[in-house]
Amino acid sequence: MNRFIEKYKKTLLYTSIIIVLLIVVLAIGFPLGFLSGDPDGLERTIIDSQGETWLETLEAFWYPILSWIENEYIAGIIGLLLTLAIAIGLFNLMKYLRNKRITRTHGS
Amino acid sequence: MHLPDGLLDPITIVVLWIITIVFMIFGYFKMNNLFKNAESDRLIPYIGVLAAVIFAFQFVNYPIPGGTSGHLVGGTLVAVILGPWASLIVLFLILVVQSLFGDGGITVLGANAFNMGIIGGILGFYIVVLFVRLLNHTSLKKEIKVTLSTAIGAYISIVLAALICGIEISLNGIISIQVAVPAMVFWHLFIGIGEAVISALIVYYIYKAKPDFITTEAIMGV
Repeated sequence: MNRFIEKYKKTLLYTSIIIVLLIVVLAIGFPLGFLSGDPDGLERTIIDSQGETWLETLEAFWYPILSWIENEYIAGIIGLLLTLAIAIGLFNLMKYLRNKRITRTHGS
Repeated sequence: MHLPDGLLDPITIVVLWIITIVFMIFGYFKMNNLFKNAESDRLIPYIGVLAAVIFAFQFVNYPIPGGTSGHLVGGTLVAVILGPWASLIVLFLILVVQSLFGDGGITVLGANAFNMGIIGGILGFYIVVLFVRLLNHTSLKKEIKVTLSTAIGAYISIVLAALICGIEISLNGIISIQVAVPAMVFWHLFIGIGEAVISALIVYYIYKAKPDFITTEAIMGV
């Protein structure tokens, strides 16, 4: 564990700083109202054409499993950490599979 | 630009899923270069951070005049940093996490990845490459060439993605193409400015702070 920390000291430090900064930006952004609650370009196009209620009546085939989190600040932080974990996990998996393929090719 | 469930017709959904899956499988084999060098172990945590940064930026809606808002898509930005194929994978996983919160639908993940990852990321990247090669005839510094090209590529790719998105939503016959396409393009002409500025600033910052994190210089020919 100590060796891991020693090896990735800088990376871990930068990662932590950036994550903390992002959390601070989200934490400050929502209360200050800097973040706009207006619809984005696609929503604006649909609302102008069909009305706001039509957009809300669109039927989904599934219920977004984390949509019960109403606090945008908490949702932002959970999403951020989830994205970080999945991205690191997925790219490590891809690297592992690549190395395994190369080993198998060289072995045969 | 996150399409919700229920907006696209089934054929469009299936076709865009197929295109996205084919691109992702192809991309998986194409991006082996990313893992070739000895530094790739150190690169993976940064990829995670970059994905988290893009997630956070997509969460942050900045105001646009006329009661609209915009947010960074980040496809071109990620493509300039990690390469076009890795950018599609990163954008896809961000869209998956967002769909868990109801921001963008799950059945239209293929369509959203097509718009933001393939048009916004892969196509945007090759627009950047085109402009970098044009700027290679000037005496500008490397980081300025890439920064300017990123801004242009990000802007054009967002407007193109909006145009394609407008066509997609008109295919279900509820919103006419004469309404959807001009409206989508009009709003994204403004939203694209934010995309261009944020992408360029981040690329310039990386050049100053950690230039080896830009892994695509060889492809860009800079």
